[in-house]
Amino acid sequence: MKKALEQKLGLVDMLEIKCPYCGDRSQNEFSYGGDATVKRPELNSEVNDLEWDSFVYYRDNPRGKHLELWHHISGCRQWFKVHRNTATHEIIQTLEMQEDL
Amino acid sequence: MTRITPLETIANTGLFGNFVGKNKDKLIRISEISNVKIYQIVQYKISKLNTSLLQIDNQIFSTQPGSVSANSATRIQWNGPKVWTVISNNKNIYDQIISSCPEEDFAVTDLSHSRVIIQIEGENAIAIIKKGCPLNLNEFTKNNCANSVYHGITFSIDMINDNPGKFNLMAYRSFADSFYHAITDASLEYGYKQE
Repeated sequence: MKKALEQKLGLVDMLEIKCPYCGDRSQNEFSYGGDATVKRPELNSEVNDLEWDSFVYYRDNPRGKHLELWHHISGCRQWFKVHRNTATHEIIQTLEMQEDL
Repeated sequence: MTRITPLETIANTGLFGNFVGKNKDKLIRISEISNVKIYQIVQYKISKLNTSLLQIDNQIFSTQPGSVSANSATRIQWNGPKVWTVISNNKNIYDQIISSCPEEDFAVTDLSHSRVIIQIEGENAIAIIKKGCPLNLNEFTKNNCANSVYHGITFSIDMINDNPGKFNLMAYRSFADSFYHAITDASLEYGYKQE
């Protein structure tokens, strides 16, 4: 209740995301791009409906550490990965697309 | 045919806002920068060309994030990895770009018709930008640039000078009206001179 009121009054700290290319920037400049752990099935491989459904539709919704895709849409326009805690909003690490945890 | 600038029918010259009793030379000065050529240069991902050897109008392609290579006629902004924006009033800049940037390595796009550039100059210029932009401008120095948002409008900041602060703010042409009014509304408090 207190947190909701603080958010309404704008008393909560602004979330900053460290773009791997530009450095620390406000969340306003970014756009969320989905789950970064999803892997597209291999090209030309046999894929059954369940595997395809899993790739296209089904996502985990973890409470805690999660690897996400973000787009610096109002900045350098690059996609990158964010390792973030969905419960605390703590950003543990940001990575370029070709990097892995 | 005469080119119509984005703010031609919007910006009226004169003094506005809280200017009474103030030294008119110290007021914020706002003007539209027109008659410049704007080119976006993108190096293809497959390109192996070393951009540190390239020059346009004797200016290098900086690979330092947020930096600008500049002389009095041409400014080359770093806009992202392998992305630069060239802003120039040099009439043969396109020929120079084409001769420096081979077409198998670079995509060159003319953006001159699709952007508005508002120049804002004065001691309070930085405060006006801070009113609508979340960027940490305290660390900004001369010849720094950044893309950010101003009241939700995507724009780029290019710091031309630091004493007094002089900035070129570039946004999409279709946002010219809203962007101009956002800037001038923020300037009313200090009083401004539209040139």
